[in-house]
Amino acid sequence: MQPTRTQTEKRWLLWPPLAFFAIALGIPMAMLLVQSFDRGGGAFVEMFTMSSFTAALLRTLVMAAVVTVLTTLIGAVYGLAIWAAPRWFSGILLAWLMLSLWTSIVVRTVGWMLLEIPRGAIYWLLSSLGLVEEPIELYQTALAMYPAMVAVMLPFVVLPAMTAMSSIDREQLNAAVIFGAGPTLVLRSVILPALMPALISGGVLVFVMSLGFYVTPLLLGGPANLTVSGLINLQVNTLNRPDLGASMSLLLVAATVVIYLIADRLFKVSEKWG
Amino acid sequence: MRTAASALGFYRAPILLVSLLAGLMLFVPFLVLVATSWTSGGLLLFPPQGFSLRWYETVLQDPRWMEPFALSLAVSAAATLLAVIFGTAGALAVLRLSPRSARVVRTLFIVPIALPPVAYAIGLYGVNLQLDALRSSFVTLILGEALIALPYVFVVVSAATGRLDPNLRKAAVTLGAGWPLILRRVELPLLIPNIVAGAVFGFSIVFDEVVLSVFLLPPGVQTLPLKMLSASTEAFSPALTAASTMVSLLALIVLALFAWLSRAGARRMRKVSTP
Repeated sequence: MQPTRTQTEKRWLLWPPLAFFAIALGIPMAMLLVQSFDRGGGAFVEMFTMSSFTAALLRTLVMAAVVTVLTTLIGAVYGLAIWAAPRWFSGILLAWLMLSLWTSIVVRTVGWMLLEIPRGAIYWLLSSLGLVEEPIELYQTALAMYPAMVAVMLPFVVLPAMTAMSSIDREQLNAAVIFGAGPTLVLRSVILPALMPALISGGVLVFVMSLGFYVTPLLLGGPANLTVSGLINLQVNTLNRPDLGASMSLLLVAATVVIYLIADRLFKVSEKWG
Repeated sequence: MRTAASALGFYRAPILLVSLLAGLMLFVPFLVLVATSWTSGGLLLFPPQGFSLRWYETVLQDPRWMEPFALSLAVSAAATLLAVIFGTAGALAVLRLSPRSARVVRTLFIVPIALPPVAYAIGLYGVNLQLDALRSSFVTLILGEALIALPYVFVVVSAATGRLDPNLRKAAVTLGAGWPLILRRVELPLLIPNIVAGAVFGFSIVFDEVVLSVFLLPPGVQTLPLKMLSASTEAFSPALTAASTMVSLLALIVLALFAWLSRAGARRMRKVSTP
């Protein structure tokens, strides 16, 4: 009686979402495979001979790595600060975080554009302080992308870090302080062990999401700083090579999903989520 | 609070300073964006020239802004509905699986977060190319957005299914209730707050998502994020920042309202449950 009961339940609850995955994820991925073999499958070899692709691939990897390291470090500090700051200040930090989490990436990127354009807000600030005379050349450079990307990704590290910090046992902390642990020892042996799993899962997430970055590099990095995503768009919409676009897409999907699955296996990333 | 402060000792000041700078990185771009939308001039400039709300008026009366807004609302609502149905079913199914298969299914449901949107959009675009009928419809766009929103709904609902008391089910089974009845009368009511929260979260993700719209919209129409993206690369007018400000404020108001309502709801629940 009991097993059949669970069987029906499983059938009704599990199969519909699995069918949805097959349609919404399986079919598009199969289409990528079909498209990439459109011209006999040479696209997989051809893309690695294109300097524009290898350059974009390298640029994307470097960008994702740099953004991940910066975001994880700053996110850890931000999470620590929300925990350790006076109530009014942590309230402000939290409000800023929520504001950023709930406004769209396009809106946030446009905000950075207004800061970085040659006569934008940064120029206005520096020139009213008398520090620069000429309009600044920051917009559409590699340097222009990084702060915006870190800002976009920050909530994905800060939120798990905050959860981890709130689980630190105050008694343990008290005990450490009472027995004379200095700030370095407390940081190293109480706070860091609690924070580390959250930082790893946040960092993995930021890394895989950064590999697929499109909007922010497009608007702030400009055509000289194409990411793999930008190059895919170019292949499909401008250069009319859907087979190349599809094989680059497959590579990108495979890379992000494999990295995610490995990290999930090693660090149980998806279990940190709820 | 005192322990946290004293335990960090001399590290506390630099930590607060760095977090202040990071916080400014989150806040200042938004501030600049809002400020430029007040301008009475015709150019997108910082500092703004004078103060007026004329660009807000322009946006609200311009169908080229209002139609994308309406389309975004409709597409996001449809995609969120799908994500809520399948995400909730998935979260409930995971509860009934062996730990091993639960782990596999959970990983599968979270994978779309890692999916690079451009690559996924190209795949969906390929589906559109194969089936001509889909090209002038919103089917692939809505399915794709639903898949992107699903992990967020799943995560938020899963947080609540983990807290369900297994004895409730056992008691209901003993009393002779079939599983559809248990689902409807016992489990779903307890999950409602998280389902609603997941829906709000998923909706905001879909509403802001732009990449799928770039590839999948039928010709001649735009969603709001796509309209903003094209406005930021073509006509750099204060209408862009006025629209951005309004939609962000709307999101914040809806969320504040939602947070307030769910707190009130939680209070009422506590009152009901305490004898």
